Amino acid sequence: MANSVITAWMPAPAISVTALEKYFPPALTGWRALLQPISRSTERALAGVSFTVGEGEAVALIGSNGAGKSTLLRILATLIIPTRGHARLGGFDVERDSSGARGQLGYHTGGDEGFYGRLSARENLAFFAAMNNLSRADSRARIASVAQSMGIQNELNRQVRTFSTGMMHRLGLARALLHGPAILLLDEPTRSLDPLAAADFRRLLKDDLVRKGGTTLLFASHTLSEVEDIADRVILLDAGRAIACDSPRGLRASTRTATLEAAVSSLTSHFVPVQP
Amino acid sequence: MNLAGTLRKVAAFFWRDFAIARGYRGALLLETLEALFGVATFYYLSRFVQSPELTSELPTGTNYFAFALVGFAFFDYLSVSLSAFDSSVEEARQNRTLEALLVTQTPLPVILAGSAVYPFAALAVRTCVYLAWGALLFGFRTQSANWPGAAVILLVSILAFAGLGILSASYTVLFKRGNPAKWVVLGVSGLVGGMMYPISVLPVPLQMLARLIPVTYSLEGMRAALLAGAGWKELFPSIGALFVFAAVLIPLSFAVFSWALRRTKITGTLTHI
Repeated sequence: MANSVITAWMPAPAISVTALEKYFPPALTGWRALLQPISRSTERALAGVSFTVGEGEAVALIGSNGAGKSTLLRILATLIIPTRGHARLGGFDVERDSSGARGQLGYHTGGDEGFYGRLSARENLAFFAAMNNLSRADSRARIASVAQSMGIQNELNRQVRTFSTGMMHRLGLARALLHGPAILLLDEPTRSLDPLAAADFRRLLKDDLVRKGGTTLLFASHTLSEVEDIADRVILLDAGRAIACDSPRGLRASTRTATLEAAVSSLTSHFVPVQP
Repeated sequence: MNLAGTLRKVAAFFWRDFAIARGYRGALLLETLEALFGVATFYYLSRFVQSPELTSELPTGTNYFAFALVGFAFFDYLSVSLSAFDSSVEEARQNRTLEALLVTQTPLPVILAGSAVYPFAALAVRTCVYLAWGALLFGFRTQSANWPGAAVILLVSILAFAGLGILSASYTVLFKRGNPAKWVVLGVSGLVGGMMYPISVLPVPLQMLARLIPVTYSLEGMRAALLAGAGWKELFPSIGALFVFAAVLIPLSFAVFSWALRRTKITGTLTHI
């Protein structure tokens, strides 16, 4: 199996991914579904991905649907165990020291789920703040702060079941930021946000969290303008392989194209694994 | 993580579930009335049931109504244990909070324990309501009860039952729904555990089976403590047996649940419904 290994020297990598492979078992139906938990994993999702992300760096994962972006983020979030290879967050191995790794990360999938609908936004955030070891006083202060950042400060006492999709999304982002994580993993961070809210959020990510706060950001996105706006570097995944890793400008220059979209198109149609 | 931090998290789970339940006040009222109907049914059934064999098996000074009421009220702890962990996993998966919880800095045992606190607290209230209805309207008496003994029996029963509950939740984590293990345990326990009749009325093979399940010791101990006012020496066999069940089932269940969770993290089916 050909591994695509991308290395970039970083003084202290916040995220380190080495030869990461992930295979899933095929979906089984009927009585055979009972064998699913112990069936062999043969469906490839990631094929030897390696990269590092430095502290305070913003890196985007891009690629078509099924390229492996979400699988990679879920491995880093300790929700999936890799088949082979290693991934470390802040020096903690996501498989062997998942508890330590979770202490480093904030994770949001960009969906509108994952809350208790009968509880208010404040109650939901307070619950997850407690789960992330925040004291009551810290919890109150952080809830007020992230709610302000997300523009939901006036909605905190509303039951979450009355929230629109966009509001729910902001609440999810607020939850990911609640405990001030060193590393933020976001899967399509502005999905469901209206254009103005998306622009605000991009500003928050880039200026407040990454530039001023020194937060390390790894996010998956299909919105290339967003990627250009936020990311210092871009990792292009294709069929589970990392086929390019460079700044948006670098990708355009190396492919001699005018836009990131054209660069991505050029790279994915002329697949050449990047050698170490 | 220190003890205070862990307790604070467990309290957060309790308040979460309490706040959600508070949103369904009508259901709470109906449950109280349902308890009354249940107690009344046992009372009138007990007036009909007059068997010398049953009467000879009852603790001195008690009647079949008291026997059945204690059996029914405390059998619920097994039912709730088997469904509390199971339901918390299933609900968390349905509303996607399982994934959100698993990326927090809260270890799995705390998540499991925390999720079960409110169901057990609510059940304790329900048990009190059952006994109160029985005492207020139908002559259920517990003057000679050994309450500290009953509390210890209850505590070790919950620990033993919780082990079964976490094993049941492991099935749900792996296979999502249609948990046959839960119904087998409940069915066998209901049949041979002595909820509605003493196990001495059962055929010998079923009596032997009864000795292999924790609910038998739980109900025997609870009846001895509440109805006969048994002392610690008399309660020791029940407490000891339940302690052994708990000592075996709790570590075993955590090991099985961790394995099940690991398998779903390998297969990527953790959040599949």
